[in-house]
Amino acid sequence: MARIIENDQGQWILLSGLVVAIALVFLVTLMNNATVTGYHSSNNALEFPKDDIRDLVSQSRDATSQAVHIAHQINQSSNQTIPDITTSIIEDFSRQTSLLYASHGQTVAISVSNITTNNSTSAFGDIVWLNISYNDGNTFYSSEPEIVEVSV
Amino acid sequence: MNDKAQLYTLEGLMAAVLITLTVLAVAQSSVVIIPQTDNFLEVQMKQKINDALVILDVTPDTTMEYNLTECVASWNTSTEASYGKDQLLALDKQLAIMLPDLMYNVEFAYVENSSVVVKNTVFNGAPTENSITANRLVALSNATVNSYGGTWMIPDDELKVIEVRLTAWHV
Repeated sequence: MARIIENDQGQWILLSGLVVAIALVFLVTLMNNATVTGYHSSNNALEFPKDDIRDLVSQSRDATSQAVHIAHQINQSSNQTIPDITTSIIEDFSRQTSLLYASHGQTVAISVSNITTNNSTSAFGDIVWLNISYNDGNTFYSSEPEIVEVSV
Repeated sequence: MNDKAQLYTLEGLMAAVLITLTVLAVAQSSVVIIPQTDNFLEVQMKQKINDALVILDVTPDTTMEYNLTECVASWNTSTEASYGKDQLLALDKQLAIMLPDLMYNVEFAYVENSSVVVKNTVFNGAPTENSITANRLVALSNATVNSYGGTWMIPDDELKVIEVRLTAWHV
């Protein structure tokens, strides 16, 4: 052992061997990281429910617009107020949507937090404040309030 | 006992360990590459079928022959598709143009008496295990159904929510 320690020949060979070994370990680690990162990024693109969330928000806005128009029609021949009819239609829309989303393991809730109606001479239409939330166990999304302006 | 070239022996041993570690690392990473490629195909397919549904839904009915709302509203609710017997030829025709290299089925899911009813409207066979499903909601009012001549029974003060489920797979 003492002879090995005292022998100082071939140090360049030893040093270059060490450098090559470290470089090899570094390259392999880098390559592994790249593939693992690629796997996770492509997997996340599949798992993140962007289409479900977009669809939920856009259909809620569309349904609110339809609900306000229906409420104005019913209001002409009924003593129910426009906010009451609109809220009732959106609550029913929320009940159906929740059941449909629940059938593929997602929880959604849509509720009305406020409604203001404007007369026909106003430059603004009716404004509905919605609370929308979505949860699939991994991703939670909420839009509170989601303001929908409907020109009647 | 010959105690010469001990450092060479040590170097050889280290080289062997390094090579083994490298081969193992490369072998492991190639296992990861396989699901990554599979995922990439699935991501592409999901994007494609979601886009097809969005285009069908947001395009005004004056621009294309039948948009999604029109197809759903005009559907006869008492029918159900089976193999070779589609119940929504208009929708099938549009999807065939948009998804030329995919097989697909279309189901309508809706709530009736507080439970979810699912019916086939376009059926091209049983999906394989690598199939992907995209969903799109359509809210129908009684006025919309009447204007497209459908058979949905919707009270005047309600909206009917129908979920269009498009399941696609590579053949």
